[in-house]
Amino acid sequence: MSAVASPRVAPAARTDLLSWITTTDHKRIGILYLSTSLFYFFVAGMLALVIRTQLARPGNSLVTPHAYAQLFTLHGTAMIFLFVAPFALGLANFLIPLQIGAPDMAFPRLNATSYWLFLSGGLVVFSGAASNEGAAAAGWTSYVPLSAIKVSTGLGQDLWIVGVFLVSVATILTAVNFVTTVFIYRAPGMTMWRIPIFTWEMVATSLLIFMAFPTLAADLLLLFVDRRLGGHVFDPAGGGNVVLWQHLFWFFGHPEVYVMILPYFGVISEIIPVFSGKPIFGYTGLVLAAFAIAGLSMGVWAHHMFTTGAVNNPFFSFLSFLIAVPTGVKFFNWIATMWRGSISFQTPMLFAIGFLLNFLLGGVTGVMVASPAVDYMAHDSYFVVAHFHYVLGGGSLFAIFAALFFWWPKMFGVKLDETLGKWCFWFLFVGFNVTFLPMHLMGLEGMPRRVFTYANTGRLPELNLIATCGSYVMLVGTLLFAWNVIVSTVRRRPVGDDPWGANSLEWATSSPPPEHNFDKLPPIRSERPVWDLHHPAGPRT
Amino acid sequence: MTPKTNGCARTATDRMRLAYPAIESANSGYFIAVHVQTWPLTATKQASVLANDWFIFAGSGLAVALLVWGLIGFALARWRRRSRPSNDPPQFRNNYPLEIAWTAVPFAFVCILFFYGYRAEASVDAVDPHPDVIVHVNAYRWGWQFRYEGGPLVAGATHSPIIGSNDAPPPELVLPLNETTRIDLTSSDVTHSFWVPDFLFKRDAIPGQVSSFDLSPDRLGSFPGRCAQFCGLDHAFMTFLVRVVTPAQFAAWRRTADAR
Amino acid sequence: MTIGRRLFISSAAFALVIACGYWVVAREITGTFLLGFLAFALSFIAGYMVVAEKKADLWGDRDDASMAEAADQVIGTYSIRSPLPFWSALAITSITLGLVISPTLAVLGLLAALVLGTFFIIQSR
Repeated sequence: MSAVASPRVAPAARTDLLSWITTTDHKRIGILYLSTSLFYFFVAGMLALVIRTQLARPGNSLVTPHAYAQLFTLHGTAMIFLFVAPFALGLANFLIPLQIGAPDMAFPRLNATSYWLFLSGGLVVFSGAASNEGAAAAGWTSYVPLSAIKVSTGLGQDLWIVGVFLVSVATILTAVNFVTTVFIYRAPGMTMWRIPIFTWEMVATSLLIFMAFPTLAADLLLLFVDRRLGGHVFDPAGGGNVVLWQHLFWFFGHPEVYVMILPYFGVISEIIPVFSGKPIFGYTGLVLAAFAIAGLSMGVWAHHMFTTGAVNNPFFSFLSFLIAVPTGVKFFNWIATMWRGSISFQTPMLFAIGFLLNFLLGGVTGVMVASPAVDYMAHDSYFVVAHFHYVLGGGSLFAIFAALFFWWPKMFGVKLDETLGKWCFWFLFVGFNVTFLPMHLMGLEGMPRRVFTYANTGRLPELNLIATCGSYVMLVGTLLFAWNVIVSTVRRRPVGDDPWGANSLEWATSSPPPEHNFDKLPPIRSERPVWDLHHPAGPRT
Repeated sequence: MTPKTNGCARTATDRMRLAYPAIESANSGYFIAVHVQTWPLTATKQASVLANDWFIFAGSGLAVALLVWGLIGFALARWRRRSRPSNDPPQFRNNYPLEIAWTAVPFAFVCILFFYGYRAEASVDAVDPHPDVIVHVNAYRWGWQFRYEGGPLVAGATHSPIIGSNDAPPPELVLPLNETTRIDLTSSDVTHSFWVPDFLFKRDAIPGQVSSFDLSPDRLGSFPGRCAQFCGLDHAFMTFLVRVVTPAQFAAWRRTADAR
Repeated sequence: MTIGRRLFISSAAFALVIACGYWVVAREITGTFLLGFLAFALSFIAGYMVVAEKKADLWGDRDDASMAEAADQVIGTYSIRSPLPFWSALAITSITLGLVISPTLAVLGLLAALVLGTFFIIQSR
């Protein structure tokens, strides 16, 4: 086989609306997930801008307290349930069969059903905003008794329950598809120890989804029973227990945050080797670390409950500290991949580096709040808001942009503009850090979470104003990305199979791939079959 | 204008506080007496233990972060692709001794950190079987009720996030200096949280259960307190004030408050 | 033993270990039940894998397998287009939404689900 000389264009597929509604092609479903989740990202981002604008000055009255509560509830719900996690599912949908050499997922129709369930779930959650008393306003964590019927009397909370339930079902079904596909449909020679790290991370993520999401679905049903069917599961006056909700929710909630980061660890593990010109370092260590994180994450849920006084803090604190070890192993593996490499700074690599720099800070503050002694001050303050935005925003979001820039050519046959991409990175990186770094100090100065205004004391006014300015800089970065998409689509410079000089199997087929994925598969003898294909004589020395 | 303090600057936290002048409201008489929240003080014995833990964790965290950022920065600078290279870089995939080391060393490190944290937490969570004062605190939407055992009942709600404004005096939890007060905390409606930043401490107020903890204030003054668990519309306004006075002043206050 | 089997057996074992550890350390019933049930549910899947994978011989599991072995092998039939997913999702949404908004909607959704289910079974024959 020779290197590709000219771009092969896939045969034209039907592009009418009906073909998109009836599609079972994993690539199209992946693109549907990605575009829907990016739409929710823009919406949730706009909500965040309103929040930050309200908080720019103390005593602001841009929005009422009730509207503000809906804003942060929908922002959290949309970012977590409708953007970060589904984006990963969509990316995996597109990539997994390509990366293992399969023609499609194991259950194509189930795959499509999952997507439509996800779409309706999101719409149902937001439809609450049109109801009498507005959308859900008890936070994305929906703690009882705040979310109980006596306090949250409106339909919005019930619609939230239904919407999130639908998204949970969609996620579970998708995880089933992923695991089955990876176990059964690997191409000849593609042993489990040769699949790309991204696919391994998706297997670990799917395992987490199996363990966590059914619990969420059950919790939501219980809350519904309490709200609309006369139950007293969470009502102390009726013999129920308030803390029970927190146990059940966080038993799901903590694995959920690893569902939101493991796929992106996989993305980084795909990108860094390509732009360092070396294979991924410590493949086995990365795989074992992924499962160590997944396993340990099932046992740490009550570190969100340290201040309740109702749980055994040391148990959860110790396991939470332990999770830092496999995460550190991954970090060192990525650094070792870059070590003595030949590093080029194209946009996907810039975002990957941004991920490393940001996620490190988020991880460090995470280890801090894993200790109850620190958490007694930091919990429910802006310190912890800073922590989770660093891991989710500085981490997952940056990996999302890295993935978009990296795999865009494979999905659509054109590269995103490199110059615009670099501008987008810098606006996002600077804007993100200007927004969230001050929040550590805001928390230490006594600013709690989920407040629609704050006292005009200390340095809070200045810190909040700085954070708001940073959020507008992030807006510019996001708009630059949208502009980049428009410009690159109009300009239409087609690319070949492998524009980046990459490693895994998806780069062995045309961009975009044909409906059946591969016309011809190269032999698979390592974890980077396409690199082997382009270097039949081994590395150039 | 610099705020008045309760004594001369003794610690680093005091020095930092003096560097940032307070932003005063028009009602300055009451306002200046309150510790204006910038960097938290350590106003209880428990807080000193917690602050020590903060410094250990923040310090070690910063050290780790600088090390790893340094490694990343070094790798990027040293091995960036300069021109079209004719050779591929060395294609190594493993270094088993190194991989074992960077698993074992962080493991030992987090075990040590856990030990420090556990020790601090155990000392802070410990509840004295014979406290000097017992206060039953009830959080409700959107104020606080402080019922002293054998003493007065203080209750109130403010409608402002500012603590110390004459327009909306917050309910005051008066505590005696250098004595142990046990707080029995609960809520009568939704989950709230009793947070005093200068004590570096919070505990959730959960309906249906009573949560007990000790406070041993070792610094005179007035310290802002807030609700930290989202509880609805006026969550941002659910403030209170902790006033630490000498035992003599405390006894006098109890008598006069009782007489009301 | 295949990777899949090893994965679920070790996950079930790990969950059991932390469930027991949690009970010993915390004596707290909710968490112990959650972890214990997790171990139980995982061992369900592990058990299935042990039984079902006895005869599994995937060409994807052999590291010296060549593409020629898979050439022209039929690994399943896929429907490349289907109206079922969209309408099933709509039916399920109607059922759940109907529980909250209006029973009529839920009943309509249930009927639609039955129709679609029948359609699916007929199509699969």
